[in-house]
Amino acid sequence: MNFPRAGQADIALLLEGTFPYVRGGVSSWIFQMINAYPEYQFAVVFLGSRPQDYGDIKYIFPDNLVHVEAHYLHGAHTAPLVQAQYGDAASLEHIATLHQIFRNPNSDTRCAFAHSAHLLKTGEIDEKFFLYSRQAWQFITQNYRKYCTDPSFIDYFWTIRAMHEPIWVMADIAANLIPVRAFHTVSTGYAGFLGTLLKDRTGKPMILSEHGIYTKERRIDLYQSAWIRDNRNVFEKDPTEVSYFRELWMRFYTSLGRLCYQHADIITALYEANRQRQITDGAPAERTRIIPNGIDLARFQPVRARRPDLPPPILCLIGRIVSIKDVKTFIRTMRTVVNRMPEAEGWIAGPEDEDPGYAEECHNLVASLGLTEKVKFLGFQKVEVILEQIGLVVLSSISEALPLVLLEGFAAGVPALTTDVGSCRQLIYGLEPEDRALGEAGAVVRIADPQAMAAAAIELLRPENWLPARDAAIARVERYYTQTIMFHEFKQVYEEALKVT
Amino acid sequence: MAGIGFEIRKILRRDSYLSMFSAYAYAGIIGSGPWVLSILGVLVIGMMSLGMVIPHILITQFQVTVTHLIAMSLILTGFLQLGFTRYIADRLFEKKTDAILPNFIGAIFITTLLAGILGLLLSFIAFPRQNAIYRILLIANFVVLCNMWIATIFLSGMKNYKAILILYTAGYTIAVLAALLLRKFGLNGLLLGILLGHFTLFSGMLLLILRSYPSNRFIEFDFLRKNRMFLSLIWTGFFFNLGIWIDKYIFWYAPSTGQSVIGIFHASLIYDLPIFLAYLSIIPGMAVFLVRMETDFVEYYQKFYDAVRDGGTLDRIEEMRDEMVGTARQGIFEIIKIQAMAVLLVFVAAPALLRLAGISQYYISLLYVDVVAAGLQVVFLGIMNVLFYLDKRIIALVLTGSFAGLNLLLSLLSIRLGANWYGYGFAVALLVTVVVGLYWLDRKMAILEYETFMLQK
Repeated sequence: MNFPRAGQADIALLLEGTFPYVRGGVSSWIFQMINAYPEYQFAVVFLGSRPQDYGDIKYIFPDNLVHVEAHYLHGAHTAPLVQAQYGDAASLEHIATLHQIFRNPNSDTRCAFAHSAHLLKTGEIDEKFFLYSRQAWQFITQNYRKYCTDPSFIDYFWTIRAMHEPIWVMADIAANLIPVRAFHTVSTGYAGFLGTLLKDRTGKPMILSEHGIYTKERRIDLYQSAWIRDNRNVFEKDPTEVSYFRELWMRFYTSLGRLCYQHADIITALYEANRQRQITDGAPAERTRIIPNGIDLARFQPVRARRPDLPPPILCLIGRIVSIKDVKTFIRTMRTVVNRMPEAEGWIAGPEDEDPGYAEECHNLVASLGLTEKVKFLGFQKVEVILEQIGLVVLSSISEALPLVLLEGFAAGVPALTTDVGSCRQLIYGLEPEDRALGEAGAVVRIADPQAMAAAAIELLRPENWLPARDAAIARVERYYTQTIMFHEFKQVYEEALKVT
Repeated sequence: MAGIGFEIRKILRRDSYLSMFSAYAYAGIIGSGPWVLSILGVLVIGMMSLGMVIPHILITQFQVTVTHLIAMSLILTGFLQLGFTRYIADRLFEKKTDAILPNFIGAIFITTLLAGILGLLLSFIAFPRQNAIYRILLIANFVVLCNMWIATIFLSGMKNYKAILILYTAGYTIAVLAALLLRKFGLNGLLLGILLGHFTLFSGMLLLILRSYPSNRFIEFDFLRKNRMFLSLIWTGFFFNLGIWIDKYIFWYAPSTGQSVIGIFHASLIYDLPIFLAYLSIIPGMAVFLVRMETDFVEYYQKFYDAVRDGGTLDRIEEMRDEMVGTARQGIFEIIKIQAMAVLLVFVAAPALLRLAGISQYYISLLYVDVVAAGLQVVFLGIMNVLFYLDKRIIALVLTGSFAGLNLLLSLLSIRLGANWYGYGFAVALLVTVVVGLYWLDRKMAILEYETFMLQK
């Protein structure tokens, strides 16, 4: 695949594991945004984990996407030749200060980061220094003795190395990126760190738009991942205490987040709860603002006419089949629903390639619950086509931000049944009194509660409940969540950012 | 929000330690033990032939011939000794046991070929006055000796000390007995005797190897391919053996100290006897060295790397490092202590012993120097052994290279300075090498964890 290349662009989008390789809400949003501003030339910097983790490009590049580059943080990078060296103690002082500031959640990272970034830029601290120098070794062992509560030194050592490996990749990207007028990162984390580096290097403004809250999602990942070692023995282990390495990774992502929040010029959140969270995590309140997602009404309004008048007994989960969507709860819900409503069906529309292991577990669960006839895996589908045929959009996620599928469903006249995560409550019941007066566009249940979810689904599918929910859904999306509103808000963001330069 | 999948598990390359600190068979070191036995065997055969083989010069010719063959074969096989043993150890680590036999046969083949050509050339050019039987025995002895060292080094690399000991005892018993039976045939009889002994020894070892490492392939030369053996080890093995013999060569061929005994083979009346007597004094030191290294040191060496690999605390890793340093230090000290005792004993008993053996008191100061030097040689072996365990190949190369160079220069210098200085060349070369080696070892041990973690390839 040949990527477009350009000598310069207006806005560089810094994307971690999303567009253009992975489908999903954020990727669609990015695609939508690029298309919405033909007056700006966009560049995309894709950050992935390893080249083999991604398949083909999933999007056709719009004309104003003039420059695309893909980089991989692990695997593609080869370490420099082993070379024993002493290392400069003074440089290390700056790094130590920065680490100290990371440990103190309330302090400002900017000054210390500028020092360290300068060392990185001038090459005074390079990968060889980190990997091979006596100074670095002393620093690592010192910190192990001081902080590490897990006995295993080798695990500590490799965890530290694994954490820092991407820094050199990103320093390289930052050094070689084409000139742009503003950076727009769509998450904190590695992409946010790259944005921070770029802002430090170029002085150009950085915009941060978060859909979910990166650090929170990482926390979920970390708790679910079995690979993090805990070497404490029965006597050393306090069950209430998380493994040191989990905590270390968590602090790592929190620190990346804090760096990004403190360096970003404009920070957008999708809804109020997330904005508050960003402020707690280090974002200066005056730079934050809320811009909810909006959808293209014109795309979905025609769907309403093609739908049957009464709700078909079909529940559909639209989304990637990954553990964060808790597809298993949806499948369990379907067991109860089908018991009481034999004509009901459950559809799962979304790509399975991101976490094949989890997808397989879902298939197995369907089989073991005897739902093979009733629960269908449709793969990736065109949303309009799906929305034409179903009765309810279901989201069983354990974490969401502002899910587009709900809005799309609303616009097509399909109410939703969701777990109580992210902005779902706000979307279904409304936020301020005026919004609430529009009615309930579905129902919200607790996470991981198939019984409650099934009961709510059966209730919602009754025409006397369903029809008012549909009307409320349509009213709410048309009033608050259209693309037009969103594009207008972001136009202002971009204008503000580009005006600075 | 997809984010980057966690695949750090793959980055935590815990297993790369295993491949790096591959089960390390140290080589060569034990190889210097057996040749002391060989020299002893030659001396015994010579002594038992006194008065029976006439004229007396034939005994000297026999001893000098065999000594030269031992020296040449050790230097020639020095190229393979360490490199090949490490190659075998690496294959064992990879669990490719079926590669061992064919490559061993390959090594034997190459050795035989080279030793055969060299022996043939030598026998044609160097001994115009000897008969064909002597020449044939010369070639045969040379080839068998070379192969014997390869097999010995192989078995000692596999830590098969018991088999080595039994086979050497059996081999030299046969050599002595056969020489006794054949001594009536003069020089050629003695040479045939020792050939029979060595041949039995080599055959026994070959049989053992054939049985221990079965394979469906007979011969291959994988070890000769590029980067299969460490170049540094190849040269280390060569320099080590060269260093041990170069002073002897200098004294053999210097006009003032050596004379021709048989054909091209020279000997040095004044230099040889004291040094070979001195080598007898290192046997207790060698024994201590072997026991210390193979038990205490290896135990902590393994504990150290276990602590590194299996998630030990840094304190534990350092503790094991300290223990390892402690045992290495203790081992080297004990060698020094034992050798010091041997030196003292020789100092006290030498005049009486020489008088008893009917050897001139003229040798006595040279003997003192040689006993100290031989003791230092054991310490040197100890240092080299630790270096091999720690995989410090370059340091080992520099040490052996400078040992050979120093021995060459200082021995030449000692001849210029006169008889009072004989032996000091060898002793001072060893002293310098040992001091530098100890210093280096100390420094490397102090930063062992740093190098282990940060500088692994």
